[in-house]
Amino acid sequence: MHIPDGYISPQTAGGLWALVVPAWYAAGYKVRRTLDARQAPLIAIGAAFTFIIMMFNIPLPGGTTGHAVGGTIVAIVIGPWAAVIAVSVALAIQALFFGDGGILALGANCFNIGFILPVTGYLTYRLIARGAAEGSARRWIAAGVGGWTGLNLAALLTAVVFGLQGELYTAADGSALYSPYGLATAIPAMMVPHLAVAGVVEAVMTSLVYIFLQRTNPALLQNYKTARAGGESRFELRPLIIGLALLLVCTPIGLLATGTAWGEWGADEVADEVGYVPEGMDRYAGAWTGLLPDYGFPAGEEGESLGEGAAETAGVVSVDAARKSAPAYLVSGVVGLALASVAALLSARFLFRGRQEGNRG
Amino acid sequence: MADMAAKNADAPLFLVEDVHFSYEGAPALAGATLSVERGERVALLGANGSGKSTLLKMLDGLLFPDRGRIGFMGQELSEATLRLDSFSREFRRRVGFVFQNADAQLFSPTVRDEVAFGPLHLGLPDDEVERRVEDTIHILGLGHLKERAPYHLSGGEKKRVALASVLAINPDVLLFDEPTAGLDPKTSSFLVSLAGDLHEAGKTIITATQDLSIVGDIADRALVMGEDHRLAGEGPPAAVLADRELLLRANLIHDHPHRHGGVEHYHPHSHVEGHEHGH
Amino acid sequence: MADGGMLPAWMTERPGGFEPGGPDRAVRQSALARTLLGLGRLARDTIYSEKVAARPGLMQGVDPRVKVAGVLVLLLLASLLRHWYLVLGLYLVSVAMAAAASIPAWFFMKRVWMFIPLFAAVIALPSIFNVVRDGDPLWVIWDFGGEVRLGPWSLGTSLAITQQGVRGAVMLVLRVAASVSLGVLLALTTRWNELLRALRVFHVPRLFVLILSMTYRYIFLLLAMATEMFTARASRMVGPASPREDRRFLAAGMGALLGKSHALSEEVYAAMVSRGFDGEPVTASRFRTAAADWVWLASTATLALSLLAGDRIIG
Ligand SMILES: Nc1ncnc2c1ncn2[C@@H]1O[C@H](COP(=O)(O)OP(=O)(O)O)[C@@H](O)[C@H]1O
Ligand SMILES: [Mg+2]
Repeated sequence: MHIPDGYISPQTAGGLWALVVPAWYAAGYKVRRTLDARQAPLIAIGAAFTFIIMMFNIPLPGGTTGHAVGGTIVAIVIGPWAAVIAVSVALAIQALFFGDGGILALGANCFNIGFILPVTGYLTYRLIARGAAEGSARRWIAAGVGGWTGLNLAALLTAVVFGLQGELYTAADGSALYSPYGLATAIPAMMVPHLAVAGVVEAVMTSLVYIFLQRTNPALLQNYKTARAGGESRFELRPLIIGLALLLVCTPIGLLATGTAWGEWGADEVADEVGYVPEGMDRYAGAWTGLLPDYGFPAGEEGESLGEGAAETAGVVSVDAARKSAPAYLVSGVVGLALASVAALLSARFLFRGRQEGNRG
Repeated sequence: MADMAAKNADAPLFLVEDVHFSYEGAPALAGATLSVERGERVALLGANGSGKSTLLKMLDGLLFPDRGRIGFMGQELSEATLRLDSFSREFRRRVGFVFQNADAQLFSPTVRDEVAFGPLHLGLPDDEVERRVEDTIHILGLGHLKERAPYHLSGGEKKRVALASVLAINPDVLLFDEPTAGLDPKTSSFLVSLAGDLHEAGKTIITATQDLSIVGDIADRALVMGEDHRLAGEGPPAAVLADRELLLRANLIHDHPHRHGGVEHYHPHSHVEGHEHGH
Repeated sequence: MADGGMLPAWMTERPGGFEPGGPDRAVRQSALARTLLGLGRLARDTIYSEKVAARPGLMQGVDPRVKVAGVLVLLLLASLLRHWYLVLGLYLVSVAMAAAASIPAWFFMKRVWMFIPLFAAVIALPSIFNVVRDGDPLWVIWDFGGEVRLGPWSLGTSLAITQQGVRGAVMLVLRVAASVSLGVLLALTTRWNELLRALRVFHVPRLFVLILSMTYRYIFLLLAMATEMFTARASRMVGPASPREDRRFLAAGMGALLGKSHALSEEVYAAMVSRGFDGEPVTASRFRTAAADWVWLASTATLALSLLAGDRIIG
């Protein structure tokens, strides 16, 4: 799900830097208030953990392997705000010290994978697990659903970022300057394999780790709660949800704004360029899942194999390729993003509310 | 600080009074009482889990008693006093702690940064930091490793860097947690003789160890922690080491059957001292 | 006590001769083995790049702050240029810089092209066909002889590779390659502690830099822990484990690692506090820029500006 440099325009990259910096400041502020000086080693080692488990090959059905990001389980243990910094640090190290993942695109990656993923994953977990007993099944299910939701929202945002490139940035002759596909292609190509494969890997691993910790180290799962009780600040859901919703809405609009401001980059020529038939390309596009090339691993070790697994599914899905204007795509992107997050959170909440009350009664 | 030292000249360096501590319900100390004078060399003996590390962390102001008190030169060591800037800075300058796990103590990008960490954070001026780093690295023979990252180092080298990082602060009191555990004989005898030099320079040295073979060389007084997380006994090293019954009770040595030439017998036995005897 | 002292009888039984029997199956490389391989490779790669960074060379000699600034400028350039041959030129410049840094050419190329730009090529491939992205036909593969419709979608009148498609795909691959090349060059020629200190100049908060440095350091400790865990498991395994078992084991490994990491962080915190850390990191600045650094930065900037100007003049 990493965006390497070269796929996105400098304006997009800059826009996402502008979004992630305040997110970091907010996280830093929250962490300072809850964790005091203890934050540095806790976050650092949380980040190292994230980095290492991204290298764990998880066997998938059909003989292929994938890997988990682990943002949600880290958020559960060290808290969502600390996790934002930890995952961002892990991404920064991949980009800066290992030359993997973009440097200009680091802001985008940190926003999607470092911010959206752990925070929405944690929120989902909290909403579903609220009131459940420590050792209960509902807790590990909540963790799994959180992992799935967080990963897919991050993937959706990444897909929107990719898709905007195809919509907005074309040379005078109509050739693509960056990632060549529009939203109508990028979103399904990215989302189908993530919803079906990568998200499931994340969910299964998050749940399994959670179960393991419930059995062997339950105190660790209470760690953040304890730290929070000690600190002055509480994790409040409402401002966070509002903030997230605002950010989700602002992202594509902000990108569009920067795009048009740079008029010469051809936002006006864009609308004509859209009109794709997805068959044929989805075969390859399925391989987006593997957009996490690992450190110097032989090519295709996981990216392609994972992609192949998903390709069949990807091929089935069709997109409304009727010619639409770029703004319409943008609106659909924003609405889709917002709807998906709200739906995931609400459905999770309602699904389990009945059970929760049942348990009490 | 000078007048504080004068005022408390007669107070013991550390005074531990009936200290209790538990980690999430698991007891680690259950009524420890002891005192340490300035310039003393003390060994803290005890089996695994008896609470040695916990006690050292308390002496270093890293953990605080659930019950009981710890005094340092007549002042109470508590969360409140250590939150005072001047007190904590002065205390951290005076007391150095070499952790058992060198990996926990080495968190900086290079050996040089590691050694500079303490002096920098205790507010020494840059040129003084530089001088101390150079000198400490030199006396510990780490010159060739200066720009290396800690993760490249061997166990013995890591231990020396950990020691350097503490010595650069030039503390008056040194707390060692199992300094020789897992080290080769050469490095451990180096550590033992360095501790001797430091003692001669007037420093107070408190060493937690299970290594009975070094006790005589590093301490003038030995304290034995029992498995009940209290002090089980104390005395000069020779006397303590000769007290089989005490060592057995503290689980530092154990009885087990041996067969020598078909004769089965029991005898107290410590795994750290060789075990030669004729039959 | 039995014959073996405290040992149970089964532990004192001796095996017979060494005669492995039964049909041998080739064992498919398990996920576990792959993970181990990957972890080992990371450690090896790092040690190798530390070695490269310690070598004398043009890039290694440049002050890290200046180098980071220069690479950022070039990265920005790589994403601003609109003509493929200029991007190619930039890529070749990065290869030349790698050569000047005495990085073996084959190693550098392999490190860069595997696997991100290659992957970009696969991604971009469909976009060269007119059915995916409209454009002027460059080469008509199949003339349908009339408009072909698939339900609501029109496939147009022919299957062709388009001029715009090829240009876009080439552009993407070159851009990605040039960017990765520059990133790898920076990573390979800069010792990471220098890179960290350089970040301070870019107003990255001190605490963030401290966390970054500690993370990097602890990655290797966790790496060693994970490797140990997996090696122990791999050595005890008879025959391949089922993917299900592997998944469980990996999850247990992650959980255990998380627990150990957390305990470690408490210990590290104590060690930092013991040496005077109160939440505010202190760093000494030990940077000295030489004239050569400024020359390097000036030539980088000149290169960037002239390429960009050329790009805009060509239109
Ligand atoms: N961080 C910790 N969390 C929970 N229990 C701990 C922790 N550290 C030590 N303990 C427990 O406290 C007891 C005393 O430990 P410790 O002081 O490390 O003993 P020693 O150093 O003598 O081996 C042991 O039972 C140990 O398991
Ligand atoms: Mg101990």
